[in-house]
Amino acid sequence: MSVLEAKDLTKIYRRGREEIYALKHVDFNVNPGDFVSIIGPSGSGKTALLNVLGCLDTPTSGSLQLNGTETNGMKETDLVKLRRDNIGFVFQQFYLMPTLTARENIELPLLFSKRDGNKSKIDDVLEMVGLADRGDHLPGQLSGGEMQRVAIGRALINDPKIILADEPTGNLDSATSKMIFELFSELNMKGLTLIIVTHNLDLARQVQKMYTLRDGQIVSCEDLACVQGRDDLVIQQEVVRA
Amino acid sequence: MNFLSLAIKNLLRRRGRTLLTVMGVAIAISVLFSLLSLNSGYQKQLDKEMNSLGANVLAVPKGCPYEAASLIIHGGVIPKFLSESDLQKIRNISGVELATPMLMEQFIKKNSITGKDEPHIALGINIDEYKQLKPWWGVQGRFFTNNETDVKLIGRALADKENITVGFVMPAGPFKGFTTVGVLNRTGDQDDNFHFVPLAEAQRVFNKTGLITTIAIKVKDVNQISEVSAEMEKIPDVQAVTMTQVMGTVMNLAGSAESLLMTVIAIALIISAFGIINTLLMSVNERTKEFGMMKAIGASGLDIGKTVMAETLFITVIGGVIGTVGAIVGSSLIEGYVKGVLPYTPRGSLIALSPELIAFCLVFSVVLGLICGIYPAFKSSRLTPMGAIRGGIE
Ligand SMILES: Nc1ncnc2c1ncn2[C@@H]1O[C@H](COP(=O)(O)OP(=O)(O)OP(=O)(O)O)[C@@H](O)[C@H]1O
Ligand SMILES: [Mg+2]
Repeated sequence: MSVLEAKDLTKIYRRGREEIYALKHVDFNVNPGDFVSIIGPSGSGKTALLNVLGCLDTPTSGSLQLNGTETNGMKETDLVKLRRDNIGFVFQQFYLMPTLTARENIELPLLFSKRDGNKSKIDDVLEMVGLADRGDHLPGQLSGGEMQRVAIGRALINDPKIILADEPTGNLDSATSKMIFELFSELNMKGLTLIIVTHNLDLARQVQKMYTLRDGQIVSCEDLACVQGRDDLVIQQEVVRA
Repeated sequence: MNFLSLAIKNLLRRRGRTLLTVMGVAIAISVLFSLLSLNSGYQKQLDKEMNSLGANVLAVPKGCPYEAASLIIHGGVIPKFLSESDLQKIRNISGVELATPMLMEQFIKKNSITGKDEPHIALGINIDEYKQLKPWWGVQGRFFTNNETDVKLIGRALADKENITVGFVMPAGPFKGFTTVGVLNRTGDQDDNFHFVPLAEAQRVFNKTGLITTIAIKVKDVNQISEVSAEMEKIPDVQAVTMTQVMGTVMNLAGSAESLLMTVIAIALIISAFGIINTLLMSVNERTKEFGMMKAIGASGLDIGKTVMAETLFITVIGGVIGTVGAIVGSSLIEGYVKGVLPYTPRGSLIALSPELIAFCLVFSVVLGLICGIYPAFKSSRLTPMGAIRGGIE
């Protein structure tokens, strides 16, 4: 069964009398454990698609099933719960609370989900994103890559089924971007489903499936699972671990 | 982590602005607290002072307005008089337990220590009857008797002020040569500042033979006060003033000042409320993106509203505490000011610091926070996640 199944999604933005078709009849399917990238020129509707998939925005028409639940016509309060229990978001600008430490930023979603965040859980997440020794630092004391790791940790704390990331490396240099992508693939190997929007083609090609958007439509879907680069990555990582 | 600690951290991000808002609330709450405590203290003191008169009804010369009656209690002088025959008629009214004549005169005397001219009040009284009116009177030295001459009693505050002890002979003034035979124990009311002499002596010294300023009446049964005063008014020269009337007049005088004060309170509170709302809206607008992010990581509209509300409450409660403490500390200053402004103020402390009032002010600051927080909290809770993240309130 798909974790995410979108059928015939259309998103229209109205600006005055003008109608902007950000998405036109998009079908989109994600299976558990998938690692998907979305590329496309600026204004092609990548963010619009990701936001609709993540229930941050409602489609103008079409249906979206999240984990088998139809979201069309759902009340906002139910959407909040659905989103909270299933999806973790990562943004280009990190959006960390500047007054909270790395640990507190990661803990923040627990305040809203009312789950008890025992300390070891937060430690685990800090460890997972490679910030075990930076937990007490404020965002201002961290590098861009580290801030994005905090944001990823925050997305992970509620044990989501899917991570949606909108240009997570857009503010980072290429070396740091690569490390963030390595973190994503590690998480993917642990079974997490990921959908990443990016402008970086090299990184986009390291995943299993790459979708290309143009003018609000999916124009191609490449299955990269057997492509050389992917295998290299897996082999490299196995070598490092051994 | 909880909403309060999140709110505190957010507020600390903008220390200067938070501090100013807190001070605004503190000032408003301290004004509220001072004026309310002043008001209840004023009433308490007034009650005490009225009771300390010991009489239920005063007979004053006709044409003497209530304001003048209140002056009498306070120690003022009116230029009209009653006579011995009025006194006899009042004594004959059934229901009157005691009617005692008084002659009240004001005179100017040099302070024996500072040498400055100061107004003094002298009361000619019938000591036996007066002691029945004021059974709590005690004396250091002795009381005079009604037919003694050249003797007087003085109040404790007056004695302390001029350093007068029992046996002191007045060197000057209308009572030149009078011996102070006793100093009254402190009563806490106007008696502390008066000179008391036998009625006949007062009439002689001030050249008012046979004249009486006021007759203090004690009735047998307090329920008969209105019947007794109606009987008294049948005497041509006499006007009856009951203590409740006097209270009413004084309260009216104070009341107009009070309504002015209430307006000041209201304005202070409204200004500070708009200040709080403005600050909150500003910080809510600045943080739209942050709220969008919070929604994206699982916050509901209610959660966002709660965060904003927690910040508001924090501001108003801290402001309320500072304001209340500040008002308690500064209460003596305010009291001095008010005593200068109001037309009639009782002696003694005007400020009554009751725990109820402190609780009221703190509860009020919470209510203020709730009122001010509603709109900003509502506004931010309705942000859609995407609208917020793209930056702008829709
Ligand atoms: N709130 C909005 N109101 C009106 N038009 C919008 C709105 N949001 C997006 N659009 C339009 O929808 C189209 C798709 O926008 P979207 O943000 O999805 O593009 P994108 O692929 O993410 O671009 P980029 O790579 O620059 O982030 C664009 O033409 C954009 O101008
Ligand atoms: Mg985009």
